[in-house]
Amino acid sequence: MKIKMEPIIGHYGNFDIDGINHRIYWEEAGEGIPLVCLHTAGSDGRQYRALLNDKKILKNFRVIVYDMPWHGKSSPPQGSKVGHYQLSTKSYVSQILSFIDGLELIKPVVMGCSIGGRVILHLASDHKEKFRALIGLQSAGHLDPYYDIDWLHRQDVHGGEICGAIAYGLMAPTSPKEERFETMWHYMQGGPGIFKGDLFFYKFDGDIGDKVKQIDNSKCPIYLLTGEYDYSATPEETKILADNIGVDMVKMKNVGHFPMSENPKEFLKYLYPVLNKII
Amino acid sequence: MFDKLSENNEERNSLQIMAKNLNTVFMISTMDNEYIIKIIQGLVSEVKIGPFVMPSYEFKLTASKDEWNKFLKAIPIPGSHDLIALLRRKVLKIDGNLHPLMSHLLYFKLLLASLRPTEES
Repeated sequence: MKIKMEPIIGHYGNFDIDGINHRIYWEEAGEGIPLVCLHTAGSDGRQYRALLNDKKILKNFRVIVYDMPWHGKSSPPQGSKVGHYQLSTKSYVSQILSFIDGLELIKPVVMGCSIGGRVILHLASDHKEKFRALIGLQSAGHLDPYYDIDWLHRQDVHGGEICGAIAYGLMAPTSPKEERFETMWHYMQGGPGIFKGDLFFYKFDGDIGDKVKQIDNSKCPIYLLTGEYDYSATPEETKILADNIGVDMVKMKNVGHFPMSENPKEFLKYLYPVLNKII
Repeated sequence: MFDKLSENNEERNSLQIMAKNLNTVFMISTMDNEYIIKIIQGLVSEVKIGPFVMPSYEFKLTASKDEWNKFLKAIPIPGSHDLIALLRRKVLKIDGNLHPLMSHLLYFKLLLASLRPTEES
């Protein structure tokens, strides 16, 4: 059987983040407005496989998805040690800006999910002039810990199994089985302590707090979409955030915490109208 | 309710491969009733129905009967579809030695979900 090629091209590149050299992997497809997509905590860019294959979107957008350092095919920086990874707001924002500057992207759109949906709030607050628009999936300004994240990195518990199990529950039971399995599988492939290290940003350091008041939607449009089955960043939490910013939010039916990955078909129905507004 | 875990079920039996080293006894409380479930090498070998005088178990999952009923629907509503979702809403309490549960979390999620009605049933 002849191989059916996808339009996605993968690259490795080297650039500095906060003065430290990093080897980063990213994938891209399409032409037009740069659309940089940020994956969730403990996963990688494969979550956006459907977007990178969607002809309708690729006609108008250059979709670019990078794996964060320590995730997917991106390397940890030199001198790293297992168990020391912790994502801070400063380092997360730095890596996004360094990637965008390194690729010389002019006024890209950035869309992030979960931790990515949180960091776009920091981008909106502190760097709005750099973006054409920001899209937050599963965005919440704040999250109280509701389970003990130490279980995610213990030598007597298999990291892949526990991270996969946590991710599995965050999806909608109505999402297709195959897509749910793949989404969980990405989590099962994460390195030891990486999911937990990302959650330091999500549950502690990345709290948007009063900075939410600095967000000016008129300078850089913000769109918020949240799946109804997400119990981490719930639609109610997104609504509070949306009200604070003064924008509408969209509650997506039949999807959970990973809309673009667990049920792309359903998600795209909600994303197309947003992208049409941005064009 | 949870006594059906001891019934022979193909889907449930297929979970054994995820927990073939697991031997534990745990309790599920519906607040008005209690179940003690024994697992040997990843298979449910026995379910005892309370009340118990001096129950012995490693960990316990406690939620109201109403919450468990919502969890066990064929397609649960948001917030009732996963053990951690119940925890997030503070309607589930988990206590005891959690290692058997957390080291086999997906197994336990799927084990309990196997009680949900399927299209065939």
